[in-house]
Amino acid sequence: MEFSDAAERALDAALAQGAVYADVRFERTRTERIEVRNGDVADLRDARSEGFGLRALADGAWGFAACARFDDASLDATAARAVATARAGAMASRRRIGTIPLEAFVDRYVTPLERDPAGVPLGERVALLLDAERALHSAPTVAVGRAWLDLWRTDKEFYSSIGSRIAQTIYQSGGAISALAVGDGDAQVRNWPGDRGLYFGGGWEVLELAELRENAARIGEEAHQLLSAPQCPSGTLDVILGSSQMSLQIHESCGHAAELDRVMGWEANFSGTSFLDPAERGRLRYGSPIVTIEIDNTMPRGFATVGYDDEGTKSVRSDVIRNGILVGFESSRDTAQQIGAASTACMRAESWDAVPIIRMCNLNLLPGDVPFEHLFDDVREGVYMEANRSWSIDDRRLNFQFGTQIGWEIKHGKRGRMLKNPTYGGVTPVFWNSCDAIADAASWFEWGTPNCGKGEPMQTGRTTQAAAPARFRNVSVGVGYGR
Amino acid sequence: MDAEARRALAARALERSRADATEAIVTSDHRALSRFTHEFIHQNVDVANVALRIRAIVGGRTGVASTNATDDAAIDAVVQRAIEIAAFAPPAAEPPALAAYADVRAPAAAYVDSTAEATPEDRARVAAAIFDQAEANGCWCSGYVTTAVAGVTIATTAGAGASFDGTECGANVKMTAGNSTGFAERYATDAHVLDGAALGLRAAQKARASADPVAVDPGEWTVILEPAAFGELVMFLAGHFSAQSYDEGSSFLSGRLGETVMDAGVTIRDDYAHELHPDAPFDWEGTPKQRVALIERGVARTVVTDSAWARKLDRANTGHGLPAPNANGPYPLDLVVEPGTATFDELIASTERGLLVTRLWYVRIVDQRQTILTGMTRDGTFLIENGKLTRGVRNLRFNQSLVDALGSCTFANVQQRTGGYSYALVAPAVKFDRFTFASSTDY
Repeated sequence: MEFSDAAERALDAALAQGAVYADVRFERTRTERIEVRNGDVADLRDARSEGFGLRALADGAWGFAACARFDDASLDATAARAVATARAGAMASRRRIGTIPLEAFVDRYVTPLERDPAGVPLGERVALLLDAERALHSAPTVAVGRAWLDLWRTDKEFYSSIGSRIAQTIYQSGGAISALAVGDGDAQVRNWPGDRGLYFGGGWEVLELAELRENAARIGEEAHQLLSAPQCPSGTLDVILGSSQMSLQIHESCGHAAELDRVMGWEANFSGTSFLDPAERGRLRYGSPIVTIEIDNTMPRGFATVGYDDEGTKSVRSDVIRNGILVGFESSRDTAQQIGAASTACMRAESWDAVPIIRMCNLNLLPGDVPFEHLFDDVREGVYMEANRSWSIDDRRLNFQFGTQIGWEIKHGKRGRMLKNPTYGGVTPVFWNSCDAIADAASWFEWGTPNCGKGEPMQTGRTTQAAAPARFRNVSVGVGYGR
Repeated sequence: MDAEARRALAARALERSRADATEAIVTSDHRALSRFTHEFIHQNVDVANVALRIRAIVGGRTGVASTNATDDAAIDAVVQRAIEIAAFAPPAAEPPALAAYADVRAPAAAYVDSTAEATPEDRARVAAAIFDQAEANGCWCSGYVTTAVAGVTIATTAGAGASFDGTECGANVKMTAGNSTGFAERYATDAHVLDGAALGLRAAQKARASADPVAVDPGEWTVILEPAAFGELVMFLAGHFSAQSYDEGSSFLSGRLGETVMDAGVTIRDDYAHELHPDAPFDWEGTPKQRVALIERGVARTVVTDSAWARKLDRANTGHGLPAPNANGPYPLDLVVEPGTATFDELIASTERGLLVTRLWYVRIVDQRQTILTGMTRDGTFLIENGKLTRGVRNLRFNQSLVDALGSCTFANVQQRTGGYSYALVAPAVKFDRFTFASSTDY
């Protein structure tokens, strides 16, 4: 491993300064972003960043320091800063924390990929977006066409003072197209795929799967049609959510609610807390019996799939909601220990200079047994909604209001005319208990999200919520416009 | 890394470039943050970094590459990557013009030595004072104390060579007392002003005063938003003041410059030199920032530009560029809402029945053109009856056109820097005569 000598020096320095445990993570990242906007290459950049972050546990408090230089003096000084920071924190703190891991791992993990993006000529990458963006202008009202892609490669090495040595190479890729139609004082947006693109763990094959060129003309035309589509009605109606909107629904009303740091008040001043209580594990009816949601940080194509999290815990598959009942949380070692559970390996840092925090990783709703087309069968009056446009939920993850880019009226079991500005709202457990059908595995899809914000300093996380379309009864629809 | 070292690094990069024109942006920062909950510090970070971003223009084509390695080989590599990337970009109709030399001066008090030199012990002392207030008032607290120093140098082969160094500090406190919460914040450039005891006490008093909150009916209310709450809304106007959204039709201002769009008491400016938020005097292209009136006494006056949009719309470059090229267009980063003449207490006293909101949460756009926003109240919402705060109320969800609300409003006479990590702006408290809530919570 490339950084083993540097790691040994930094960890020794931390222990010599008085740390009882330390781990250090060396990272090299390469990020490529290309965006085409109305025919111009509005963004074309290749960013590389490298450095290391060291966590030290001293006097019952954690300290974290990070540096972009790898020379001996920087290794020593950064270790000393981490320990000094921990000790200063201990000076003020009224209680002690810090769990030393019992098990060390020596391993290597590489994201499976079919086509390394580095092997795709830059001209081909740009041409894909130029072609797709051009095709978005299929209607005269499309004022803004956008097409973009993001490619990440992260090489990281994790070492700990109890002997872990973990090397990982993580590939993540994605892209999207977006059409904004403007007319008569209105603006309507349509994106593809889903609401913000297709993002998987993997390589260039993700961009091929996204079929940006193939769908661009249709997406432009849909944005245009939305300008003259009727407004989504307001009232109490049945709702069918498409799989990408289900992904957002899981993310906001389950994923964040079940983060154990929020539950314990560690995010209270910013991202908020949670309505969940560890004492209710095994008892709280979160949703109807057909609702099962699990963490799976080992799944193929998962945007958050890794071998180990950023405190060196091996990735697992673990239930959060089983048959509608709350059974677990997304956790770290410190938080899991406080509820007598094992870490679910959800500690992630966005980069070498960020401290690991609990993140929603891959969190999936298991598919049901209803073919998608039969979800509509016994809906007398409702709305089918796809592709998120607006999302807001309170700081305990209860009262939510979401809007989508597009909807379709449902009358007597049939999908009818297009509707604009669909919105719906509810209260988390009431809403999930109104779920009476989930489509089968044929329409289950792994939707990645590249921009999940949390923490102070703010960190951006990459996460997957896989889901199939689902049906909810008696939902408040049209909120924000008519009621 | 100080300004001189950044200039030297930028010069080394420009010397190595064989592009037709080159821009080097060097940033350096050292940021520390102590985050706490339940009267202990659970995240305590200290991070330093230097980064170099190269924009190379070759035959009218632009390529951008960046690195945080600063040895000669890394500089050679990043310059070469930018040039190689440029070869694959379509040529611009008109080659981008890089910024030339300009005499810019940093606003007063943007950099304070003691903030730059703050230690983890300094931050811990502020946190400890907050913990004391939590314990004394029967609350538990969460929040952070931060200090940071950051610098930027932008140099171009056209002669630009602008540098800025600034310091930032802040403390943000949420107190929880049983079934109610309260909040206080302070941001500045001088860490000496961070008074943990005062902030902790204010947040605790709010939490205790809103104990056992009662439910009120959603609907249309007269509402007073404290600066932290109002700032959460104002930041959603920023994108509307961009020449890009204006021209493309997604801004509420599109086609309306010169019209009265808000109450005559509303003046919104972008001002990098405001004493509560002194910022860099140049934008991310190295162009001097103009101090611009965006809304003046209710009238839409102008939108901000960068070099590309100034040329496209044949308007002056106001110096509001983000790192170029940029798909997001120009953006005002230093919004200031001008104060009114009433004291905060007078806003309360003049309200027969209304709500006072301390803070908002998860504000999102429902409808871009209509500026309809939704979000939740949090951390101290109070009922006002007959000109007095009477008790805490349970949190509410709003759905409201911000421009409509600003059509009938009154501002307090004191401004505050607000925003924390997500954004920074200066705003007073505001009283909206009509503000619509759609639903409520049970807490």
